[in-house]
Formats: sequence, C-alpha cells, structure tokens
Amino acid sequence: MNLTPEQQALGRRNFLRVLAGTPAIAALGAAAAARGPVPGGPVRVGFIGVGGQGRALLDSTSASHADVRAICDINPNSLRLADEILARNKMPPAKHYVEWKEMLEKEDIEAVIMAPPLWAHADIASGCMEAGKHVLCEKMMAWDVAGCERMRDTARRTGKVLEIGYQRFYNPLYESAYESIVKAGVLGDVYYARLAWHRNANWRRKVESPAPGYDPSRWGYPTLDHLINWRLYTKYSQGLMAELGSHQLNIVNWFFASEPEKVLGSGGIYRFTDREVADHVYTTFEYPGGRTATFTSVESNAFDDFYEMFMGTKGTLILLAEREAMLFEEGAPRGSGVEVASRGGAPVAQTSETVSGTTPDTSAPPVPGAAPTPGSGGQVERRVATRREIERFCAAIRVGTPLACGPDKAMGSARACIKANEVIGPLKPLTT
Amino acid sequence: MRGDYSGISGRQQFALIVLRTAIGWHFLYEGYVKLIGPMWTRGGVPVQPFSSAGYLRGATGPLADVFHAMAASPWISTLDIAVALTLFAAGLLLLLGLFTQFGCVLAAALLAMFYISAIPLSGVAEPRTEGAYLVVNKNLIELAAVIVLFTFRTGLIAGLDRWWISRRAPAHQNEAAA
Repeated sequence: MNLTPEQQALGRRNFLRVLAGTPAIAALGAAAAARGPVPGGPVRVGFIGVGGQGRALLDSTSASHADVRAICDINPNSLRLADEILARNKMPPAKHYVEWKEMLEKEDIEAVIMAPPLWAHADIASGCMEAGKHVLCEKMMAWDVAGCERMRDTARRTGKVLEIGYQRFYNPLYESAYESIVKAGVLGDVYYARLAWHRNANWRRKVESPAPGYDPSRWGYPTLDHLINWRLYTKYSQGLMAELGSHQLNIVNWFFASEPEKVLGSGGIYRFTDREVADHVYTTFEYPGGRTATFTSVESNAFDDFYEMFMGTKGTLILLAEREAMLFEEGAPRGSGVEVASRGGAPVAQTSETVSGTTPDTSAPPVPGAAPTPGSGGQVERRVATRREIERFCAAIRVGTPLACGPDKAMGSARACIKANEVIGPLKPLTT
Repeated sequence: MRGDYSGISGRQQFALIVLRTAIGWHFLYEGYVKLIGPMWTRGGVPVQPFSSAGYLRGATGPLADVFHAMAASPWISTLDIAVALTLFAAGLLLLLGLFTQFGCVLAAALLAMFYISAIPLSGVAEPRTEGAYLVVNKNLIELAAVIVLFTFRTGLIAGLDRWWISRRAPAHQNEAAA
C-alpha cells in the first residue's frame, strides 16, 4: 500500500468531505449533565512498570485527572527517567517502589496504571484489583488466554474498572472513521481488511546495566538482556502478534463488530537469530459473514509502514500510521499511478515499544510522543489519544463513564493473537 | 397571616414566592458547588475547586483596588469559604422563608459586591458572559428582584417566618389580655 502524495491528498480530502456531511459525535455523557457534578479530585494513582511504554503513559497523564503518588519498577534506570518526566511536566515527585505489592500496601492510591512485560500482566492486574484498585493495563491483555480470563473475572467480581490500553480507541481519527464511514455504510459491504506493520530493524535494544552488579534474576529474568529485551523471548512475550498485531486486530473487531473465528498463519525467525519470537509473521483471520482480515509484520522492509485498510464494495478506507485517514470511492479516479519513492530514514520503533529512556539499537526517532508530521487531512497526534485514554480511565472511576476498551473487547484480540502464534509454524513442503 | 396583603392577589403572592424560591435555589446551589471542592462533571471532566482570586484580580470599577488587594491577601482561601457559606446561607433562608428579610439583605449585599466588582460598561459581549450588557446585567436585575422580595416581606406570605410568628402570636395575645 503505497500511494503518491497526490493520491494521499485526494484520499484525505475524500475522508474529510464525508466527515463534514455527518453530525458531530455527541459529547460523552452530555445527556446526563443535568444531574449535577460529582465531588472528587484527581484520581490517586500509582504506576507499575515505567519502562518505555510506562513512561509514555506517565508523560501523557494530566495532573487535572490523575495525582501520581508512586511509581514502581524493578529497573532503577526506569525510575530515574520517570522522575525526569514528572519534573519536566511540573508534577510533584512520586515515591519509588521496587515491589508492587509493597506499593499497594503503603500508598493511599485508588488506581494503578501498569505497563510491565506481558507475562506479568495477569498477576499484577488481578492482584491490584483484589487489593481494591482500579487498573489501566497496557496492551496486550495477558500472555495467555487463561490470564485474560482471570483478569476479566477479577474485574467482574471486584467491580473494579479494568481498561486495556489500546490508544487507537481514543484517537479521534478512528472514532470519526467508525462513526462517519464504517457505521454510516460509506464503504458498502466490507469483506476484507488488510493490516500491515512493516519495519526494517531488529527490535533489539541496548542493554545498559542500571547499577554495578544489578541482577534481575529474582524477578524471573535470568539476565539483564531478558529484562530489557523481554519482547524477544517467548517466556515473557507473544512477539509481533501481541505488540503490533493486537492493536490492529482490535480495530477490525471494532469495525466488524465481531471477533475472528478461525486463524491460519506462517512465519518464523528468518532474519534475526538472536531471539525466540518470529521476526516475520503472515496471518489470516476469518470473521463471521465471510469477512477476512490479514495481518503481516516483517522486520526486513519498512516501505509499507503501518496501516489498517478496509476494502468495501463501495469504497476503501485507509488509516495510516495512526495519523492519517484516506477514503477512496470504488471506480472513482485516483490520480496518478503508484510511485516508487525513496523512504529515506524509515521509522523503526513504534507505538508498542516507546523508546524514551531505553536506547534502541537503531537510529530510530522516539515514537510516540514525537509530534507527527504536520499537515492537513486526517493527521492527529498519537499522544492526544494516549492522553484521552488516561483521562477516560480516570473519568470511568470518578463518574462511571463507559470505557472504550474494557476486558471483553480486549480479550477478543488477545485470544486471536495468542491462537495465531500457536498456529504459526512450519508449513507443508510442496515437494512431498 | 401578619401584614396587610389585601392589595395583593393570591396569584401575585404566588408569583413572589416563585421568585423567592428561584433566587434562593440559585444562591444555595452556587454556595454548595463552591463548598464541595474539586468535582467532576457527569461527562467526565474534572473541575477545579472554587477560588475567587481570579475573579477578584480581574475586578474593575470604583472598588477595583480593594478587590485586587483581597485577591493578593493571604486569607483569600478563608474569604472563599466565607463567600461560599454566605451564598449557601442566603439561599437556604430564602428557600425556607426563614429570617427572610435577613436573607434578602445577605443576598443583596453579595449581589451588590458582584455587580460593583464588574460593572458592564463596554456594551459588548465579554468572555465568559452569554450576552452583551451595558450598565444593567443579570447581577443588577437579580439585586432588584431581591429588593422587591425585601419590600414585600414574603416570609409572611409563605415560609417558616410565618409559622414561627404564628406560634408566637398567641403568647403575645395572652400577654396583652393579662
């Protein structure tokens, strides 16, 4: 999926034209405004896991909504970098903890925002809810389906708010695309969605010891590399499917209003032999009603960037890199042909693995948090979405406004990604 | 009923009580939201606790210097609570029709202060106002309405003043008979 700048501009204009013809989305809860306000200040929160993504969440936390009382991480470097973010954002210093259970015992907090490695999600999230805390857990929901179910059941039993952090759900671009394009039937019948997240880098980060003799083995990581590069090891990670695929598949679940029923896939460790998770995956998900989504993620070519494309009988919707939306009517002129253009220094580290503080082993610019390329059309700041995600989480706690991605929705994509990893493996040889 | 209301019809008396109730609720609720501290709208938007500092800093008119000094004073938070409590008390008295005349005085004093601190002289719509005003604004109109209430002694038409006085009346009559 590569379009010339002219074609992209046309697609953006088409998208905006349709948006202009539909009424604005009603403000959340506007109908309930007559009931009066609810007393209460900012939600008292603690952060568990302030690595790259945890710090991206911290950086997007508004003091008006959340009062960050404590931060917890087993890596002292992460705590130090988190302090810098608090200071830069003129927020009061937060108390440091290494053990999350100790933080829950000692701090008067109402909620936890957590972004530890995937394998720890179910234990920590469930433990927090058992301790009476609301939880915003970074995606993917959990390492296995049983973990997802435990988190969902704990949320139901304790009555605590559990939100899984998929920032696309809070991106105005996606909200507009769903309301004005998908739900309005502009695309006609959509049988196919194509998802791609292509990069040309090794996904590995530099390992820098936070202190002489630092040993993370007591937390289950035999070496520092396992802690820093946990995404590359199957013990802690579900690889590309979880870190990238679940974001996009969740959008298909939302737009298709259903969950996939079948999956097939291939892939493997083709380029980088320093890991346990695949560096190339090619998967197909079958939805009810004859609808299909394909997801590909390669670590050897970034020409395609990352996007979600919905192909309907009347039109095609493209959501590119979380910052642009394009719409093309079937049969309408599309400007000049596809242009093969130099991509220059392509982005490498994206959404799910924010690089602030942890130096990736590439020359990648830090994303998210970095401002997207300015321009017209459907461009939005990804950071706005993360900020809204946290604000909505706090609002759900204070006044009960609905979540965009609670446990049931998050489980749909998590289950599909976990099952996809189970089927990805050696294919049948054609010669036998 | 004490007082001579022979010249006022029942409808007119009812209208006066409606006016008093509306003004009372307005004051009561203004005081309440200023007293409860930080809060959230039902739509999920946080609202900062009340502080009169910004309002006072922006004050204009003949007493502007006084209001500016109040904004800068160390006891501004105490003043905030006092204003909120006074609003609440005035509202409660007007709603209940208890010590109604005193409630009217409280309300009138607050409204006069609010009016003097920002007399509309520009004649065009200002930020945070929903209309254009020249000299007369809603504070002044509400002040005039409170003066009307004060003049008519509406506590004797309906409210706890009437009940309280009617309880005291037989005692006075007995004293007079003795």
